[in-house]
Order: sequence, then C-alpha cells, then structure tokens
Amino acid sequence: MREILFVAFSLFTIGAASGVFLARNPVYSAFSLILSFFGLSGLYLLWGSTFMAMIQILIYTGAIVVLFVFVVMLLNLQVNRENPSNLLTLGISAGAVWFFSLILLRVLTRAIPNKIPEIPTDQLRTISKLLFTRYLWPFEVLSLFLLVMIIAIFAITRTQEIPHGGEQR
Amino acid sequence: MEAFLPVGFLLIFAVLLCIGLFTVKRLLGPRNPLASKLSVYECGVATPEGSARAPFKTSFYLIAVLFLLFDVEAAFFFPWALVYKESLVQGPGLLIAMLVYMGLLVLGLVYIFRKDCLKLN
Amino acid sequence: MEWTDIIITAIKTAVIYLGMVQVVPIMLIVERRGAALMQDRPGPNRVGPFGLFQPVADVIKMMMKEVTIPRQVNKALYLLGPFLVLFPASLVVAALPFGDFFTVFEKNYPLQVANIDVGVLYILAIGSLGIYGILFGGWASNNKFSLMGAMRSSSQIISYEIPLGLAACSAVLWYGHFNLREMVYTQEGTLMGVLPNWGIFYQPLGFLLFFISAFAETNRLPFDLPETEAELVAGFHTEYGPMDFGTFFMAEYMNMATMSGLMVAMYFGGWHLPWISDATLLQWLGSRNLLAALQVLSVVVKISFFMLVFVWVRWTLPRFRFDQLMRLAWRNLIPLGLINLVITAVIMYFRGAA
Repeated sequence: MREILFVAFSLFTIGAASGVFLARNPVYSAFSLILSFFGLSGLYLLWGSTFMAMIQILIYTGAIVVLFVFVVMLLNLQVNRENPSNLLTLGISAGAVWFFSLILLRVLTRAIPNKIPEIPTDQLRTISKLLFTRYLWPFEVLSLFLLVMIIAIFAITRTQEIPHGGEQR
Repeated sequence: MEAFLPVGFLLIFAVLLCIGLFTVKRLLGPRNPLASKLSVYECGVATPEGSARAPFKTSFYLIAVLFLLFDVEAAFFFPWALVYKESLVQGPGLLIAMLVYMGLLVLGLVYIFRKDCLKLN
Repeated sequence: MEWTDIIITAIKTAVIYLGMVQVVPIMLIVERRGAALMQDRPGPNRVGPFGLFQPVADVIKMMMKEVTIPRQVNKALYLLGPFLVLFPASLVVAALPFGDFFTVFEKNYPLQVANIDVGVLYILAIGSLGIYGILFGGWASNNKFSLMGAMRSSSQIISYEIPLGLAACSAVLWYGHFNLREMVYTQEGTLMGVLPNWGIFYQPLGFLLFFISAFAETNRLPFDLPETEAELVAGFHTEYGPMDFGTFFMAEYMNMATMSGLMVAMYFGGWHLPWISDATLLQWLGSRNLLAALQVLSVVVKISFFMLVFVWVRWTLPRFRFDQLMRLAWRNLIPLGLINLVITAVIMYFRGAA
C-alpha cells in the first residue's frame, strides 16, 4: 500500500513539475507548481512527517506560489509563443540537462533500499525540541535574516517604483 | 499517516460534488450564445477600454512579499508553542529564545510602519 | 484496519460532509430572513410555510439559468475557478471534532472525519488554498473588475491570515497541542467553580483576533471588499454565471461553518456542555451513543450561534475601505497577535514557576 502510494505521489509530483515548464502561459505554470507541491506534501505524509507536510502546504503552496502568481499578474507576462531558439536559452537548458542527468545517475547507481525507512511516531515534538536546543542559534539567525529581507525588499521597491497613469489600480 | 486516510474519502466526496455541480450546470442550463452576451462586461460601454491585464500597483506585490516573510516567521512559532509548556520545568530558556526572535520581528514591523511602506497612513 | 472500519469511516465521512453541505441551504434562508428581520421587512415568505422552501427555489433557479462562457476567458482556469474555492472549503472539514466517540459493534469511532495530530495547522494550511480559486478565476475572466477584485481579495485574505495564525498559535501555546480533540478534552469542567472551563476565558484577546480575522478570511461584511457592488460590479465573479456564483457562495458558507467550528473547538469547549462533565452525563444517559448525539447537538448549536453572529454583523456594520482594511490588519491585529503570544507565554511561565 505504502509502495503504491509512494509511486503514485512521486509520479504526480514529477508530472506536475514538468507541467511547470511545459505550460506556455506562466499562470498555468504556477498552477502546475501548486499541484506538484501537493504531491510533495503527500510524500511527506507517507514518511509520517505530518508537520512537514502541513508546513509545505502552508508556506510553499499558501505563500510562495501566491507571491509567484502576484508577480506574474503584476508584470503581466505575455504568453510565450516562440520556441526557445535563443542560443543562450539553449545553452542554459543543455547545462541544466547535463547537471540533472549527473544527479540522476548518482541517484540511480546507489543501492536502492527495497523498503521505505520507517520514521519514529512522535516526530513533531522531537523536531521542535531539536530546533530549540541544538539548532537554537541558526533559528535566531534566521530571524535576523528575515529582518534583513524585509528591509531589502523595501529598499528595492522604493527605488524601482513602476510609474504609470494616475488611476490607482 | 493512517490518520489522513479518511481525508482521502473526503477528497473523493469533494470531487464528486464538484463533478455533480458541473454536470448539473451543463445539462440544465439553456444555451443561446450571442456576440454581445459573450463579450467582456464593462460599465456602460459596448467595447472594453484597453486590456484587462494591465500592470498593477506594486503595493499588492509588497503585501505578498511581507505576507511570505511573516508567514515563515509565524510557522516557527508553532513548533515553539508546542514544546513551550513542557519546557517550563527547565527554566525560561525557551521564553528568552522566543523573545529575541520576536524582538527582531517587531523591529521589522516597526520599520514597515516608520517608512510607511504599505502606504497605511 | 479491517474492512468494517473502512466502511464505517466512509459512511461517517459522508454523513459529516453532507451535514456541512446542508449548511448552505439553511444559511440561504437564514441570511435572507435575517436581513429582512433587521431591515424591518417580511423577506421571502411565499415558497412553502414561512418561506422555508425558498432555498430550493433559489437553487433550481440557479441551475436552470443560461450558461455563458465569455469569449475572452482562459477557459480551463475559468471553469476550474469556482471548484478551486469549493475544494479546500470541503477538505478543511476533516479536522473539526463534532463529539467524543460513538460505538458500533462494540468498537469506538471518533466523531471526526480524521483525528489529525496537526489539526490546527491542517485547517490553516488547507484553508489558505481557497485564495487560488479567487486569484485564478479572477485572472482567467480577463475582465478589469474581476482582476481587481481578485487582487484585492487575495491581499485581504493573506493579510488576515497572519493574525489568524498568531491567534491560533496562542491557543496552541496554551493547550500545548495541535490536535483539536486534545484541546477540547482540556476544556472540560469548570473554572473557579462558576465559569465553564472554556478557552475564551484564558484567551480572550486571542479569540477576538481570531473572530475578526475569520470575518476577513471568509470575505464577509464588514470585509467583503472583493465584491463591493458599488465599485467593482461583483468583484472576482463578475464574468461568472449563476451556478458558478452559487459554487462560490457554497464555499463561503462552508468556510464560515468551518471557522465557527474552529472557534467552538478552540475557545468554546467544543462538544462539552457548560459546567457538566462528560462522565456525569454518561451516568445520566447511560449510553455512549446517546452521549455522542448530545455532543453533536451541542457542537451544532454552538456553530449555529456563530453563523447567526455572522449574519447579524453583516447587516450591522458598514464596509471598510481598502486602506482601512490593510491598516487594521498590519497596524493593529498583527502587533496585538504578537502581544497576545507574549502575554500568554509570560503568564504560563509564572504559573509554571509558582
């Protein structure tokens, strides 16, 4: 049962992720991204990590993709009808394919465990306790990092405010 | 994991409801398409002014970024809230850790208000 | 898990889900008659006794109306839009506890679709997905009013998600659990002998924040800016037909019910009757299933109360302006949420130290 679900979630995730770059319209790409994150959180559930699954949906699906969609709508990106004939695009794609095939090769040549490893049941409290004991300093630094991000975002948008007609939209 | 299995049932029922609503809408409603029926709605004009997908004001984007940052911050409050009660016997360590964390968050909020970044005033 | 378990779970899920869907027709009539009551007019009273069959008439009318798909829309996302809203609204129901246990064939089953250990997070996470239906639907309609409504609506929803999360976090902090069922268990009994031992007496500010944010999250007046008829025609569903409008409405009512259910579970003792403990009740009634029925009734009454408050507030308060709305969220509610969190933590520390 677990194996079947694992394969199903994996295929779903990979399929949806391919949709992200196969879709011509960026909004449809964003939609595929949401689906692929859903598959990912399904995988987390399968590993017994309910907390990670929920955070995956709450942060990635519920916040990061919202930002993507906002940016796509904000910039009003046009539908990309041309094929990637650009040399640079081709080069980057070739590089990416090469890199990911290396990773794939590395993954495939490793011994594949015939069973998904079991994970302790009360992970939630274990993770939380570790976060506030062993990883306390990274946790505090993260807060500083977020503060810097808040300031940086305003600094950037301040200088690059897009001018447009008087009507407030 | 097992606890989520009934959610699968709920998923199936929700899909069934959606399919049902869609088919009912398709089957029962009459169809007499006319050019004017199918055109864009806009107050008092026959043809719409310009494209609907014009660029937006940046403040919407700012709100989305801020939401993302604060959501990440809030996500870290949850594991803290979960273990805080048990950690009380070991002294105020977790309270102080969270006060430092929250202090930096509040600095960010104060910055937003002082610079009036969201045009709140 | 045996197959009897699976069948009983499936039936239980179906019954709970159908119950939640029933909220929609009931609220249709309650809202219309409630509005009429507050505006001193009779309201719909022709269909059936006291107009009780009005929802049936409404739904039939919606179904029989013409379906038009405007030419300019992006068809796939346009058609998907309403269901993207309805889908998360249906899924969040899973974590709501309606009662303790019921017994079939001498086995206990929880009166909840799924006893999820991260219940609060589950509701917050899945509930936040409703925004996509609005965003994609509004965008795919390719209409200025739709897009504007969608952007406004989504900014509003994401802004109020943070105070909602912070208020829920304070509750989690107080109970030390994500699990809504565990939260309800701790709310049994009395507080200082007079008050019921409910979360609201420990988290009054948290409840207030949650309550206000819940209105914004469900797009209800005084926060129904996405649909401001006066300025945006109908907001994100301008280009949608009657049945799609009905679907959006269904999702709205179901979200309201879920939010009410969450408030009941976190702040109003869930299935507990005030002052009486479950053990005493079980002694009086003598049967577990009878007790379960009483508990479900108690939850339903509490949820109905909040639904009435939703209607009451709708016809009492005027609508906010968009900048006022944003100011309320960022300037007032988020700082208050943080303060509430700190106060709760400090009080818990001193209680623990004493």
